Amino acid sequence: MATPSARTAGPPAGHAAPAGPGRSAAGEPTGGVRPGRGRRRAAALLITPFFVLFGAVMVAPIGYALWMSLFRERSSGLGFGGTRRVFAGLGNYTTALSDAGFRASFAHIALYCLLYIPVMIGGSLALALLVDSALARARRFFQLALFLPHAIPGLIASIIWIYLYTPGLSPVLDWIQAAGGSWDFYANDHVLLSMINLSAWQWTGYNMVIFYAALQAVPREVIEAAVVDGAGALRTALRIKIPMIASAIVMTVLFTCVGAIQIFTEPKVLNQRGAPSIDTEWSPTLFIWKAGFVQHDYGLAAAASLMLAALGIALSFVVTRLGNRWKAAV
Amino acid sequence: MTRTSRSFRTVAATAALAALGLLATACGGGGGSTDAASGGKPVTIDYWTWTLGAKSTVDAFNRTHKDVKVRFTEIPSGTEGYSKLANAVKAGNAPDVATIEYQMVPEFASQGNLIDLTKYAGETVRTKFPKSVQSMVTFGGRTWTVPYDMAPQLLYYRTDLFKKYGIAVPKTWDDFKKAAEKVRKENSGTRLASMPKNDPALLAALAWQAGGKWFGTQGDAWRTGVDDAATKKVAAYWDGLVKDDLVQTFTGYSPEETKARAQGTTLAFLGASWSAGGMKTALPDLKGKWAAAPLPNWGTPASGNYGGTSYGVLKGSEHVEAAAEFITWLTTNKSGVEARLADLTSPSSALPADQDMRKVAAARFDTSYFDGQDLYALASQQADTIVPGWTWGPDQMDVYTAVQDTTATSGFSAGVEAGERKAESGITDRGLKLRK
Repeated sequence: MATPSARTAGPPAGHAAPAGPGRSAAGEPTGGVRPGRGRRRAAALLITPFFVLFGAVMVAPIGYALWMSLFRERSSGLGFGGTRRVFAGLGNYTTALSDAGFRASFAHIALYCLLYIPVMIGGSLALALLVDSALARARRFFQLALFLPHAIPGLIASIIWIYLYTPGLSPVLDWIQAAGGSWDFYANDHVLLSMINLSAWQWTGYNMVIFYAALQAVPREVIEAAVVDGAGALRTALRIKIPMIASAIVMTVLFTCVGAIQIFTEPKVLNQRGAPSIDTEWSPTLFIWKAGFVQHDYGLAAAASLMLAALGIALSFVVTRLGNRWKAAV
Repeated sequence: MTRTSRSFRTVAATAALAALGLLATACGGGGGSTDAASGGKPVTIDYWTWTLGAKSTVDAFNRTHKDVKVRFTEIPSGTEGYSKLANAVKAGNAPDVATIEYQMVPEFASQGNLIDLTKYAGETVRTKFPKSVQSMVTFGGRTWTVPYDMAPQLLYYRTDLFKKYGIAVPKTWDDFKKAAEKVRKENSGTRLASMPKNDPALLAALAWQAGGKWFGTQGDAWRTGVDDAATKKVAAYWDGLVKDDLVQTFTGYSPEETKARAQGTTLAFLGASWSAGGMKTALPDLKGKWAAAPLPNWGTPASGNYGGTSYGVLKGSEHVEAAAEFITWLTTNKSGVEARLADLTSPSSALPADQDMRKVAAARFDTSYFDGQDLYALASQQADTIVPGWTWGPDQMDVYTAVQDTTATSGFSAGVEAGERKAESGITDRGLKLRK
């Protein structure tokens, strides 16, 4: 986005300095003599807040979690004599890995991601392409209507859907019954689909807006050229538009993957509302929450969190790698 | 140009002021509670609870006390609430006083979240409360919390609908099953009761009634029996009722459960003395149509304790003495108990464990919802049948989630087996001694 003027201007001394407070302090000492140092200093000044925040909210907590994950609280006898902290080494990591529930939680989210990501990304891409080719006036409406679900906080959305899923409360189930059918949203075979429906409802519109914005940046003359060459709407979409927004697609897949492995609200609410196969450690984040806040085992929770974070990093790496390869291919 | 820069300056100045203001209030908020009780200034203590009638109780206390002021915060009950408390202790911003149910006392005490109250309230607990209640708050020779209520189990039922379907109030669990069969035959859309799969505390109380003992201590070691014979009998009984479709399995304390009660598609529910308090607000239209009876039993009158609350002082409190004063007032003072029952929106119907307070509460309770039935007399009588010898575990919440998770998929019998495995591993994992 750098404009030519910004690239060539160097120190702003050449411009007629608009009179304003604070202006002279920055402009005076350079005077165009040593442009490099001033700019470097400015860059350092501007980037410092990032590193301060990054250190305070990312590096420090991760370091603290790492430290916590090496300890365990132990008591003796009946346990009323207080607790003491003992060094556990990698004990918390092996405890987590040998926990069948923790391992199962990864299998759950793997299956969830396999079903959810293609459905949601495919859906939002299809919608974005449809909206992009729709009438100018209809576009605004669809854009807003499809984005609206995302404006509802995840927890509220979950509660609304739970209401629609619960027998005895749900009007939808009443209609299905009135029509002579039957459906149980919480049944073991259906509950994953119910959860995917809930997440997709929230996120399809959001990603659609990203895709749609990317599509707006596709030069119209390219599309016109394709049309002139005889490409139909579908062919234009598949061969021109999608390749041209490949970066946006890779980015949303990356974000979705990282978000999906941390799924918490949906299974938590489904668990509380009595979906039998969604247990209290269905997803890794639920396992971590339970370890920390039900079992009060902060070491185990820290170890499990770090393992989940490692998976997130590995997944980001793989998605970026594959995405770049795909971008180069199309 | 000048216009914009001036307005920019105004904005910047306002923002800076606002930021400073925030900082100032943030500091003020933190400092207020740590103020020592010096110079005749009243001590302010924080109190977190979810019990009915809490607001009016605190108001009454603050009206009558000059030296101690109580700040009340409502927190969720159950797992969420205890997590909140445990985290607050870890973070160093725990309230001074909190409601701790009996089932959580060993866990909270052994996790180091409670301050030993022997010095402040040991005498009160020893002299004012029945032995059976003392044993639920005294561990390792120390008093950890001060009891408030006992929670004998009761069967609440719709008098009008029992008459309509021609059902007598079941006395035993056999009768209960027959009544359930009859209700189902009379009306296929209606059931006698609902047995939630997500309320392991209810299952524990039913096991207690049947003579089960989930935990016990022997010397310096814990014993476990989450799947003992009595508990297995209870679990199998309910698995049978669920399998034969004789009871509903609504999520406990959920809108659908309440709706079924309101519509009359559930005729009765398994509750405790405290259950009556919420009915006035949850089911206002059914006033006069409910009554309570002793819970059906296995042949001899018996009851478990379904819930029951006590009050503890959390670690980190700097006003233990003031906190203990408030707790003593809450649990053993006439006006404390009266205020709790006088709450306009959510009056408590809990049965005080202190005999003198029981009379106070009984006199104050509004019986009009139950068509004049003397609920306190019934609850008092049932409290005497609570089976002695029950102990809660040091990893109770973890056992509950294990029971709940497995019950959801595989039924109550499998649930209690999973609970037993978790009870054992939870004890040994923390380095506590387990005797098999």
